[in-house]
Amino acid sequence: MTTPIPVWERYPAAPIDQDNVALYKGWLRHELTLPRCGNCGKWHAPSYPLCPFCWSFDLIPTPLSGRGTVHLSILLHQGPSAKGVSYPYPVVTVELAEQAGLRFTSTAVEGCGRLAIGTPVELAWLDRDGAPFPAFRPRDGATQ
Amino acid sequence: MTGNRIQDRIAIAGVGSTGYTRDGNRTARSLAAEAAVSAIRDAGLDRADIGGVISSAGVGSWTIVPPGATEMVAMLRLPNVTYFGDGNPVIVSPLLDAMHAIYSGTCDTVLLYHYNYRTPFSSRRAADDPFRRHIRGYDNLPPENARNAAAYAAWASRYLHENSIDREHLGRVAVNSRTNARSNPLAAMRSPLTLDEYLAARLVREPLGMLDMDLPVDGAEAFILTTSEHARDLPHTPVLVHTAAEGLVDTASDEEQLASLAHHGQDIVVRQLRARSQRSLNDVDVAYVYDGFTFITLSWFEKLGWCAPGEAGPFLDHAWHDEQQRLLVDGRVPVNPQGGMLSEGGTQGAGFVRDAVHQLRGTAGDRQIDDPRTALLAIGGFFYNSQGAVLIRDDNR
Repeated sequence: MTTPIPVWERYPAAPIDQDNVALYKGWLRHELTLPRCGNCGKWHAPSYPLCPFCWSFDLIPTPLSGRGTVHLSILLHQGPSAKGVSYPYPVVTVELAEQAGLRFTSTAVEGCGRLAIGTPVELAWLDRDGAPFPAFRPRDGATQ
Repeated sequence: MTGNRIQDRIAIAGVGSTGYTRDGNRTARSLAAEAAVSAIRDAGLDRADIGGVISSAGVGSWTIVPPGATEMVAMLRLPNVTYFGDGNPVIVSPLLDAMHAIYSGTCDTVLLYHYNYRTPFSSRRAADDPFRRHIRGYDNLPPENARNAAAYAAWASRYLHENSIDREHLGRVAVNSRTNARSNPLAAMRSPLTLDEYLAARLVREPLGMLDMDLPVDGAEAFILTTSEHARDLPHTPVLVHTAAEGLVDTASDEEQLASLAHHGQDIVVRQLRARSQRSLNDVDVAYVYDGFTFITLSWFEKLGWCAPGEAGPFLDHAWHDEQQRLLVDGRVPVNPQGGMLSEGGTQGAGFVRDAVHQLRGTAGDRQIDDPRTALLAIGGFFYNSQGAVLIRDDNR
């Protein structure tokens, strides 16, 4: 039996702590997981230690569908060099389907240039140094 | 030129604390948020009432990691913030910042918070914790320097060289704090400590040993400050900031360059407190005298004028209450009744402010001192963190 590699070793550059570790563990399962409040039921991002809406500390890491629409969209023409990153490089902030105002930011794949705001998207999983990394791609039938 | 138009105009209307631990597994954000929510609720207020947010997580905060003020606003979704900032890590500095923001009318009510989080550099257990990797470290690499904590060991060597102080005097400070911490449920170290045990503790940065240095802890404090008028409409007896001061000499944080122990930040603070306070040492009912390192407490006693320069040793002998195993100045005034930095936890004075508020407003529970009106807080060491305050009970409610 082998000991599983800890999540912070799979994502050595990520700022993982007790409050957000569920997000990164979710990535290993190809899930986008954010804290949902056990008191008022709202999700929030980033993963704070308490619900920003009702100040409850009763948070339940809960996977989301990963579906949403592009809310903000940029195309980087230069930036830091990193494995798997080439410029121009798209970055989108997606408003997630489950809750108005709940957003998550990553890159977009299978797009060409800057993805249009309002484009319906879903999660796509990239490989970063052997670990899954969430990105977004246009949903079937979505135009760009 | 200094004045004190702000005297008694600003009150502390709420407090919240997580308490302290040496083996916590929560983030600094979690601790700070809990203390903040507790303080706001303690003051009988809600998110819309908070106009200012000030942290002690600013420049030079070597023990401090996020959250700064803007992150706190986001965590609590505070909608009406008109003033925010991250101040000096030692508590009177951001306290002054909060007072000034309220007095000037920039905002009416401030959430002020401070927290401690053991870094990989401050504790072996923290160094083994993978969740503490991505935080800021020291500016200067040890061992070939006399900066930060090492500066105090270095200046302790000089203090002991110049004065007739022996390790038993330093030990009195440590035992006093531990004795007091034993009845404080928020304190990290509550096991009994004898002078013999102090003397037997291992040396770390000689001449200072394990029990001469304050404790790296996890925990947080938060305070609600507002105008004295507003505070009188809130649930608790207001605690007024009679005066507060910081002091800095021209060598500032160049610790090795300080000209002499005869003149450093503590001297400036005491001069300010005297010039800007209507209360004297005789009025003090409870004293919080910084014990981040034991010899700092001795220096404060001299600088405050409780004894002459170089006379802190005999002064401690005189103030020592052997039966109670703690200090009582003039047989009456307890020193560091929450356990000091040495035994409650090294909070850069924040624990002092919280305990002073509880004592003055009568919410200290089993540890309540009989009817205190005046608390003296002498906080910090000699360099960038020399501070002081006089907090008083509001008798005009």
